[in-house]
Amino acid sequence: MGEVIVVTSGKGGVGKTTSTANIGTGLAKLDKKVVLIDTDIGLRNLDVVMGLENRIVYNLVDVIEGNCRIKQALIKDKRYPNLYLLPSAQTRDKTSVTPEQMKKLADELREEFDYILMDCPAGIEQGFKNAIAGADRALVVSTPEVSAVRDADRIIGLLEASEIKQTHLIVNRLRSDMVKRGDMMSSDDVVEILAVDLIGVVPDDENIVISTNQGEPLVGSDTLAGQAYMNISRRIIGEEVPYLDLNGKQGLFSKLASLLKKN
Amino acid sequence: MNNPVIIKGNKYGIVVVLDDLMKFDELKEKIAEKFRDSSKFFSKAQMAVSFEGRKLSNEEQREILDIIAEETELHVVCVIEDDPQKEAVFKKALDEKLMELSNATGQFYKGNLRSGQVLESETSIIVIGDVNPGARIVSKGNIIVLGSLKGTVFAGATGNTNSFVVSLDMNPVQIRIADTIARSPDKPIKEEKKETKIAFLEDGNIYIETLNKEVLNDINL
Repeated sequence: MGEVIVVTSGKGGVGKTTSTANIGTGLAKLDKKVVLIDTDIGLRNLDVVMGLENRIVYNLVDVIEGNCRIKQALIKDKRYPNLYLLPSAQTRDKTSVTPEQMKKLADELREEFDYILMDCPAGIEQGFKNAIAGADRALVVSTPEVSAVRDADRIIGLLEASEIKQTHLIVNRLRSDMVKRGDMMSSDDVVEILAVDLIGVVPDDENIVISTNQGEPLVGSDTLAGQAYMNISRRIIGEEVPYLDLNGKQGLFSKLASLLKKN
Repeated sequence: MNNPVIIKGNKYGIVVVLDDLMKFDELKEKIAEKFRDSSKFFSKAQMAVSFEGRKLSNEEQREILDIIAEETELHVVCVIEDDPQKEAVFKKALDEKLMELSNATGQFYKGNLRSGQVLESETSIIVIGDVNPGARIVSKGNIIVLGSLKGTVFAGATGNTNSFVVSLDMNPVQIRIADTIARSPDKPIKEEKKETKIAFLEDGNIYIETLNKEVLNDINL
């Protein structure tokens, strides 16, 4: 029986889609059967981040409306045969789907997959309600900024009200140099405000931008962000993984080494 | 059946429901009787007629039409057939003709198509502008994009395998022609220079080629 996980944040642009793509790919790397569902109807992105846009024939709304079978709409990932994507529709809007329909869909997919990851749209309206409808647990993504943390707090409140049993926090785009200078909240500060369990901290890494543009999730690569996402995937399946030292690559030696590598 | 001839009608025509078992000569009598009785009602109307309930030969149909002409002042404009086989033949012929038409006639659309926008056309379509990723064009005929094509296009949507797609800058996410789908390469190819290209269907594969004289000669509208 699979587990349905919703990745949400409230605020836009904090990295829900990037996190969904990387964590999902990470879980697939750990030999789990995974399906990613893009619930952002009308503003689909996950297919682009996964580099699967050109394979879309049917989408989520087609499945819900019965224009095709689920199997026909699921896109097999080009790298991992046990990873699938159910893309969202671009020409429709959030009202094309109801929470009941999403719950039914999630329950059907539960039979066949180990993990079902829902990429939630920004906001707290219909799209959010659709995305959380069938979920067992939630990953709340927030950047260490007051605005994002404020929205995350609101979201956590709504998740609690909708009886989702487990909520974990991902602090994304942390810059340890700024934290050291006292110019940015640390992950501890964010955890203190939100009072939920932390499941991972992802550093601000320019490799993320590169990987997103290329449609190749970087999870598991030797970049800091790649390792951070891999650790989150491991923690999701229940492994105990120590937290990364985000300063690791800031040392003089490794800086020199990376400079040499580039040349 | 206690009523071997039933006449049903609407504003534009009548349906004559005939008994299947009765001998034809007997039936003719009944038909004559029925129409005689209702000739006042029909007076000089112009109508279409169709026959149901009994398979009629051309000869028999002729005879019945004669009876109607004799007994009433009704003017039968045409007889509508209720034969699924013939209907299929007509449908096929009409579809083929319409397909040819949709390939040979066209509409214009001026403007850029952005993500989420869909342009659907019964005929061929000429877009003066760009088609961005996430936008979609569906046409029963050909698709010509005077701009860059970076979205999804579906030519020959009703199954016309002769349909083609032309663009000044051919970079689509997906091309469909009739029942065949082609997708863009996963690794983007560094484009040498922008060239007008044509996508067409041949032996179940979609080919994209530079639009030159030889290719032009192969196009049939």
